[in-house]
Amino acid sequence: MDQKMDFNAPHSMGTTIIGVTYNGGVVLGADSRTSTGVYVANRASDKITQLTDNVYVCRSGSAADSQVVSDYVRYFLHQHTIQLGQPATVKVAANLVRLLSYNNKNFLETGLIVGGWDKYEGGQIYGVPLGGTIVQQPFAIGGSGSSYLYGFFDQAWKEGMTKDEAEDLVKKAVSLAIARDGASGGVVRTVIINSEGVTRNFYPGDQLPLWHEELEPQNSLLDILGAPEPMNI
Amino acid sequence: MASNSDSVSDTQRTLYPYVTGTSVVALKYKNGILMAADMGGSYGSTLRYKSIDRLKPIGKHSLLGASGEISDFQEILRYLDELILYDNMWDDGNSLGPKEVHNYLTRVMYNRRNKFNPLWNALVLGGVKNGQKYLGMVNMIGINFEDNHVATGLGNHLARPILRDEWHENLTFEEGVKLLEKCMRVLLYRDRSAVNKIQISKITEEGATLFPPFSLKTYWEFSAFKNPTVGAEGSW
Repeated sequence: MDQKMDFNAPHSMGTTIIGVTYNGGVVLGADSRTSTGVYVANRASDKITQLTDNVYVCRSGSAADSQVVSDYVRYFLHQHTIQLGQPATVKVAANLVRLLSYNNKNFLETGLIVGGWDKYEGGQIYGVPLGGTIVQQPFAIGGSGSSYLYGFFDQAWKEGMTKDEAEDLVKKAVSLAIARDGASGGVVRTVIINSEGVTRNFYPGDQLPLWHEELEPQNSLLDILGAPEPMNI
Repeated sequence: MASNSDSVSDTQRTLYPYVTGTSVVALKYKNGILMAADMGGSYGSTLRYKSIDRLKPIGKHSLLGASGEISDFQEILRYLDELILYDNMWDDGNSLGPKEVHNYLTRVMYNRRNKFNPLWNALVLGGVKNGQKYLGMVNMIGINFEDNHVATGLGNHLARPILRDEWHENLTFEEGVKLLEKCMRVLLYRDRSAVNKIQISKITEEGATLFPPFSLKTYWEFSAFKNPTVGAEGSW
């Protein structure tokens, strides 16, 4: 990494991560590509990591840094939960993430989105970008793919969505970012957290809409050539 | 300060800011201090966050406005929280006034600068105690001073000339607000990190009031704007 940074160049990180609140909880989403340079080291990674039963974190930036931060936070939260005698709040989890990010800002290169549900404040999303700022938001986007989503969310985000509307928004957004960001790809993973619990979902490319200049995937060219197959119901 | 500033290790050097707030402008008026800032948090050239609170009340008598790295501002708020808490715990009827808070901040900022590990902020501290109005500024290298009107960042270049011209002793609240709005509008036109969501706060002997965020109208109806290249096609 260069010693002299251009202050006006935002630091790009591989990945697209999203966290969105809806009336009743939160939906977290991410792509699944981990790259080392131009090589895709893992095409099905899980970037949405559990911190407690009710709080998850989306990781972006350095895979190692984000993993070690979330490991420490999981460890601290475990002890905190035992001592407290009840589930940790999302705010506490987010602040622990902030503490590590802020106090080690010279060494870490990771942007995180903490999301979860607790009985006091319901669903909450906290962004913890580079530097260790903590910002509670109704929705948060992060990673290099998020550059392509600022305009999309400015237009498509609404207050008070249902669970399904929120998950559709997240799916659509990650899919759009994957279409344009080389550092994002693979499948779309979502995690929904509310009072009832946690639901993990998995959406491979064929279950996502096609965007501009994308074609329907085929098994072979041979299937397209010659007479079209009769439609089967 | 319980921070990880390792003055021996070579890895703790001057850093660079990530999420930053732009100008803060403040002035003394008849009943106290008026302060204004927008709610933007920029990430390089991206206007990433648009609801960051950069004006905070401190204790009973002061208001703090910050520009620069937001994570460092949040840390400063934690230090001040502890300072005010310990002050309250004395339970002796005394409370820290703006002069004391400003002095504390100056020491923190200057000492961090000396260890080559600055808090990357420019802070505006205003308040009233026992009828005495106080308005001061301190930045990341420890430069500090007090004046009748202060600003940070681009506000120094764009807002202060307006204030030097139009500020006078005993401005009313309405006059003060209009003057601040004039400054914020110029900053909106000419500061590329500015965001059109402004917060104004006031502090008087009675306490701090944080007004709700609002947006400023802007004017574009100059004929020279509508037809900039009349008589000089190809120019801008």
